[in-house]
Formats: sequence, structure tokens, C-alpha cells
Amino acid sequence: MSAFMQTLVWGIFAGAIYGIAAMGLALVFGVLKILNIAHGELVMLGGYVGFWAFTALGWDPFLALILVIPATFVLGIVLDRVIYRYVVRLWGEEKIKNSLLVSFGLGLVLSNLAQWVFTGDERSVQPSYAGQGLDVYGVLMPYTRLATLGIVLVVTVALHLFLRKTYPGKAILATAEDYESAELAGINIDRVYMLTFALSAALAGIAGQFVTFTYALAPSIGMFWTLKAMIVIVLAGTGSILGALPAGLVLGVVEALSGAYLAQTYKELVGLVIFLLVVIIRPQGLFVRK
Amino acid sequence: MSDFLRIQDVSVAYGDIQALWDVSLNVEEGEIVALIGPNGAGKTTLMRAVAGLNPLKSGGIHLGDKALHTLRAHQIAEQGVILVPEGRRLFGGLSVLDNLELGAYSKRARQVRAETLKLVYELFPLLADRKLQRANTMSGGQQQMLAIGRALMGVPRLLMLDEPSLGLGPLVVESIFETIKRMNDQGVTVFLVEQNAWQALELAHRAYILEQGRIAGTGLAQELLRDDRVKQAYLGISPAAEV
Amino acid sequence: MKTPAGGQLSLWKPSRRWSGPGLIVVVLAFAIVFPQQIAQDNIWNLFFLMSLGITMGQSWNMLGGFAGQTSLGHAGFFGIGALVTRTLWLHGTPFILALVVGGVATATFAMIIGAPTFRLRGAYFAIGTLAVAEVLRITVAQNRPFISTMPGDMIASYSLPARYWVALALAVVTTGAAYLLLRSRWSLGILGVREDEEAAQASGVHVLRHKLLALALSALFMGLAGGVFAFKQISYYPEAPFLPTFTFEAMMIAYIGGVGTVAGPVIGGAFFVFVRERLAANLTDVHQVIFGVLFILVVLIFPGGLLEIWERLRRLATRRQQGGPRASGPSPEEEGL
Repeated sequence: MSAFMQTLVWGIFAGAIYGIAAMGLALVFGVLKILNIAHGELVMLGGYVGFWAFTALGWDPFLALILVIPATFVLGIVLDRVIYRYVVRLWGEEKIKNSLLVSFGLGLVLSNLAQWVFTGDERSVQPSYAGQGLDVYGVLMPYTRLATLGIVLVVTVALHLFLRKTYPGKAILATAEDYESAELAGINIDRVYMLTFALSAALAGIAGQFVTFTYALAPSIGMFWTLKAMIVIVLAGTGSILGALPAGLVLGVVEALSGAYLAQTYKELVGLVIFLLVVIIRPQGLFVRK
Repeated sequence: MSDFLRIQDVSVAYGDIQALWDVSLNVEEGEIVALIGPNGAGKTTLMRAVAGLNPLKSGGIHLGDKALHTLRAHQIAEQGVILVPEGRRLFGGLSVLDNLELGAYSKRARQVRAETLKLVYELFPLLADRKLQRANTMSGGQQQMLAIGRALMGVPRLLMLDEPSLGLGPLVVESIFETIKRMNDQGVTVFLVEQNAWQALELAHRAYILEQGRIAGTGLAQELLRDDRVKQAYLGISPAAEV
Repeated sequence: MKTPAGGQLSLWKPSRRWSGPGLIVVVLAFAIVFPQQIAQDNIWNLFFLMSLGITMGQSWNMLGGFAGQTSLGHAGFFGIGALVTRTLWLHGTPFILALVVGGVATATFAMIIGAPTFRLRGAYFAIGTLAVAEVLRITVAQNRPFISTMPGDMIASYSLPARYWVALALAVVTTGAAYLLLRSRWSLGILGVREDEEAAQASGVHVLRHKLLALALSALFMGLAGGVFAFKQISYYPEAPFLPTFTFEAMMIAYIGGVGTVAGPVIGGAFFVFVRERLAANLTDVHQVIFGVLFILVVLIFPGGLLEIWERLRRLATRRQQGGPRASGPSPEEEGL
């Protein structure tokens, strides 16, 4: 029984990271209506900022979030101004297709630039308290993972409050619903798009930071995280931004259980197969109210 | 003495398909001007062009001495030209209050947001009652009031309405047109597009007729109401038949 | 930036002069004679890779360029072709037969997953294809984790020029197929699907059938390319041909050369491979960055790729001579439709 609980707990911890990795992508897809394949690279770059903070400044990975969040936020602004702003003003199928292509090219550029700067070696961050944690009835819960889960929950709530209760947040939601009406109301949707993209980059950066001490960090991990994020947002339903968290948790748990009870090797497959099933059978996702 | 809204020789095209040909019209300050015409004539296209949602192929649109056609849509709203689009187009997932507050997003409107909100609640008491209700759970008439209320939050100098009576029952339409009259009495210039030509001409001071992308006629609303051609084409009144 | 309302970002239609038969003969002659003259392994290798690149680009183009269905999972086809061909060949089947079976197997697979996958539109379709390819890759990686190496006798009789001739032949056949496809009675339907699926459906085009046709051909040739890869590589991990890299190369070749055209992937393939091999020799990954940037520029600014850039320069030059009033834009002459 405790083995099952342990698996479940690992699944939840993994799912929390999946959730926050996906949240940024859900934001971009919901508001800008574009698909950013380079999202995984934003996760990767966030991780490298954190890694640098750890190795060069000796900062604890959670403390380093203070650095990672603004850094990735600014990167998001830059990418929006330089590239995505030209895609966003297209419409319909063309917008999606071209955003796919452009972000794919960008992903290539970013991952190879990272490779050039950081080399292809895998890195990870091990804070001093890495091995320690709570032991609850035989279920091990490392502090790092608990803190991760905690931060993810806090960020999710913060995002919800921001979107629902603040003026700029509501402007973002309004733009997502009907960008023309938003413009007619006097909302500068270019700014909204820029802010949204920057937010999504920051969320990706946070996820990347968590990746540094839970998975391995390398320039090539972008595609892996993009796919994970895609799977999660499809599970959540593409209109749902906050649904990314429960969907991420579901994915994490399902993967963990498959890994434990089927075969470790098929863990990755499970997510992809679920993705394909959901996308073909129930495209609106699991968490979108219909 | 004002050359308020001036639309000059405006042509608009969707790709290769031209929708408006050299349309010229103007709206004086304090007037209510109606634009009537058959379906597909291009009335909505013209409204959207003024509001900045459709680019012009040629021609110009000015508000006073400000060239609107060079501005972006949100900047035009900042100028006080506010469009209530066809079909309401509310932010359905947000509350009534949210919708109203977002209507005042421009700098100009934001400053007086609290007062404007009070005025809107006075004008539309049912919006005050439903402050926190989600917009897409309201009836058509209520949504139209919210749409107009949202536009009013932008403190319009020129209020444009695209088919405000669409899909609404006669009583609601009455009340909406009354509201428009009241706003006009308080100094808001109105430019409206209406399928319901009768109501529009009853309300307006002047009107233009748009047919197939071109201005086909203009005149005082009262005159047009008596004009045979208008009566036949848009008011459903056939000429006296031989008995 | 050109954004015609409601349509493609812009589709470049090159003028007839560019792909005149004379030019084709010259290029072919060069492709046949030059490597024999130089007769060095690195040249055979380079030309092999260029031919393979052209094939991959043409194949992706059939689905992504002609039918407008952006596939991110083409490596799946490449991999299946490689897997089937390699397995049969190493077990004694004559290579050409193994190659053909590999191609057919790939096309068959594509037909099986095609119908359900085409229920997805746009972005979902793209991600869906990527997911399918990844499922294949992971499955193969789990079941065939060990490196596949040619047996000694095959290595002994290995002939690099032979590999090149096969690759060149495939490139020619694929390009020919693309050309014929554009001239066939299905081309209007396929292109219609790309431009506006709903409109095509409304005018009586059986959308799914046309998509499946484009898919079948695309998968067939990508599978054959995979088979040729399996023929050339002395040893490789069975999962390798399933890596997304091959999808991206095919896609980039099509776009950089000129997506939606027949000449585009030819130019793209030669250019892409040549630049890559030159740069990879010196600065390992800068070429990827360059291609990424080039790709973005092509998508945003020069949708017709190198073909468009070339045409524009030519037009600029001839305009000086003629003093013609025509502003730069899509050529009125159209590529054989």
C-alpha cells in the first residue's frame, strides 16, 4: 500500500511541474491563439538561468526564482516584440500554422544557441537539503518536491487572482474572449499580447527552475517539455488556463502508475497515447465546462 | 458649428472583394444619424471601418480635425468614438461589472470611471441588479443593454450602434431606442445602423441609405419616412394599389 | 508584410522560365558527371546527402506544401521505411525489393492512421503527427535498443557510388512524381484543400480523399528515403531515423527552397545540405541557428523561399530593362496548373 502511495505522491510531484510548464502555453494559446512550439525552450532557458545562479552565485534554487522570473519575463517581451508580434496579427488557420512554423524555427535557434553557450552536457542542481524530506507512514516526500508543489499552488492561485481580479488581468481575459471587442473598449491588444507572452515565459522559467533539480538540464530538453505541455493543455481543454494544473497532476499520476505497474519504459508512451485519444475523441478536453 | 464626423470617399475591400465604393457621409455634433439599407449593403463594414477594425482601401475618416483612419481601434475609442458592435459581442465569461469596467479602459474614461458607472446604473437599473452575473447568462435584451452600457463607460462623444435591435422583442427595442434618445438629449452624438428602418427613421434627425456599397440617398429622417421609394423598399409599405 | 485577407500567407508561383527542360537536363548531367569526375568519397557523400535531402523535402512538400497539412511527424515515415527495408535487406532480401516493400509498408501505415488523424485540424494535426512519430520512436527504442550493423560481407562489398545512384534516382523519381501530381486531375482538389477546406468541400471536393492521396504519396517517398538511409548507414540505432530531426530537415528544406513548388525542394535540398556540411565541418551547431533564423525569415517575409528571392532579384533586374510598372508580387505566369 505504501508503495502505491509513494508512486501516487511521485506522480503528483511530477504533475505539479507538468502543470506549471503547461500553464504558460495555455495562456499563450488561449489569449494569442498561437501555438508556441518553442515553449519548451523557454523552460530550458529558465532552467539555465537558475543553474547559473546556483553555480555562479551559490543561490538556493528557490531563492533563484527571484532572478529567473524577471529574466524569463524580459525574454518573453523581447521574443514578442521581435518575432511573435508579426504572427499574431494574422488570422485563423494561417495564424496557427505560421505560429507553429515560426516558433519551431525559434526553438531550433534557442536550443542551438544554448548548446553553443552551455555545451550539450546534462546539468543538474543539488541543493544541500536535496535528500531530506518528510516521512509520512513510509511515504517519502522530499522537501524540494514539497516546496515545488507549494510554489506551483501559490503561483496558480496568484495567476487566477491576477486574471480575475485585476484590471490588466481582466483585459487579458477579455482579449482572449473577443479581441475586437477588447479593442473597441480601448484596450491596446498589442500590449496585452506582449504582457501575456511575457507571463507565459515567466511561468515556463519557473518550471525550468524546478526541472534543474528534478530532471536533467540540457539544451535538448525543449522538445520534451513542449510535448508535455501540449499533452497537458489538450487534457485540460484549450480554453482552460488554470485547468492546466489538475490536468498536469492527472498526467503525472497516470505516468507514475503506468511506470510502476506496466513498465518503466512505457511511461512516456502513456502520455502520448492519452494525448492522441483525447485529441481525437474528446477534443474539448477533460476540464472545460461544456 | 462643427464638422464632427466626416467620412470622405471611403472604399473598403476584403482582399479582392470590394465592399464599399467612395462612400461619403457626415454626422454633425448632437445629431442622430441613421444608416439604413438592405442586408449585405456594407453598413457593418462602414461602421467597422470608422471604428478602426477594417482598414480603408482609400478615402478618409475624420473626427473634427483628427484623422481616424490612421489610428488603431483602441486609439479611436480613446478619441471618444465608441462602437457597439453587431451581435453584442460581450465578454461572456466575465461579469456584468467586469464588462462595464473594461468599457472604461481608455485613459480618458478611466479617470471618471466611478461616476460613469453610477450614470450607467441609473440608465439601466437591471445592470445594477446583476452586477456579478456572468454576461453570457443574460437574455438578449439584457445583453444589449450591457453592450450599450459598456460603450457608455467609454464616455463617447460619438456613439455608434450596429443593429441594436437585432434579435430583440419589440418592447425591448422600444426601451433601447428610448435610451438612445435620452443619451442624445444629454449630448451624445449617435450614428446608428438599423435593419428596422422605421424605428431608425423615427428616432433619427437625418439618414443615409446604403445600397450595394454605395450611398443611394440621404435626407431628413422625417422626409425619408414619407418618401415612396423608401417606404416601399424599407418600410414594407406598398404604393397604393389599383383596386 | 503581405497578408491577403483569408488566404495563404502568400504562395509563390514561379514563372515557367525557371524550370525549363533545358535547365533540368543541365542539372541532371551535372549530378551524374561531376561526382564521377572527382571520384572522392566526401563528394559522393555530399551528393548522396543532397539527393536524400531533396527527396525528403519533396515528400514533405506533397503533404505540407501542396495539401497544406503541416506534418511534424514525418520522421515516423522515414523510420518505418528504414526499419522495414533494413530488416528485410539484412535478412537476405535483395535491396531494391526491400526498399520497395519498405516504401509500401510506410504508405500503408500512413493510410491506416490517416483517416483518424485527419479528423484533426491545423495545430492539432501537426501535434498529433508529432505524437504519433514519437510513439513509434519510443516503441522502437524500447524493442530494438541495440545498434544495427551491417554484416562483414556487406561492408566489404560496400559501394558509396552505388548508394549515390540510388539516392539520385529516388530524388529524380520523387521530383517527377511531385511534378506529375501537380499536373494531375487531383491537383486542383489538393490545392483547394490547402487554400480553404470548407470552400473546397462546398464545391464538391472530397476533402478526405485528397488529403489521403497527398499523404500516401508523401509517406511513400519519405519511407523510400528512409530505406535509402538504411542502405547507406553502416551502423545506426534503430530509433535514430525516427528522431524529429528528420522531420525538421524535410520541412526546412521545403520551406527554405520554396514550399508548394516543385523546384523549391530541389533548391532547398541542395542548399540546405551543402551549407550544413560546410558549416558542420567548422562550427558544429551554428548551422542550425542559421537555418532556424532563415526559416523564420522565410515564413514571415519570403514565403516562397529561395525561389522567391531569386525571382524577385531577376524581376528587379529585368524591370530596369523594360521599365515595367509592375510592382513586385506573385508572377502572373503560373506553374502549369
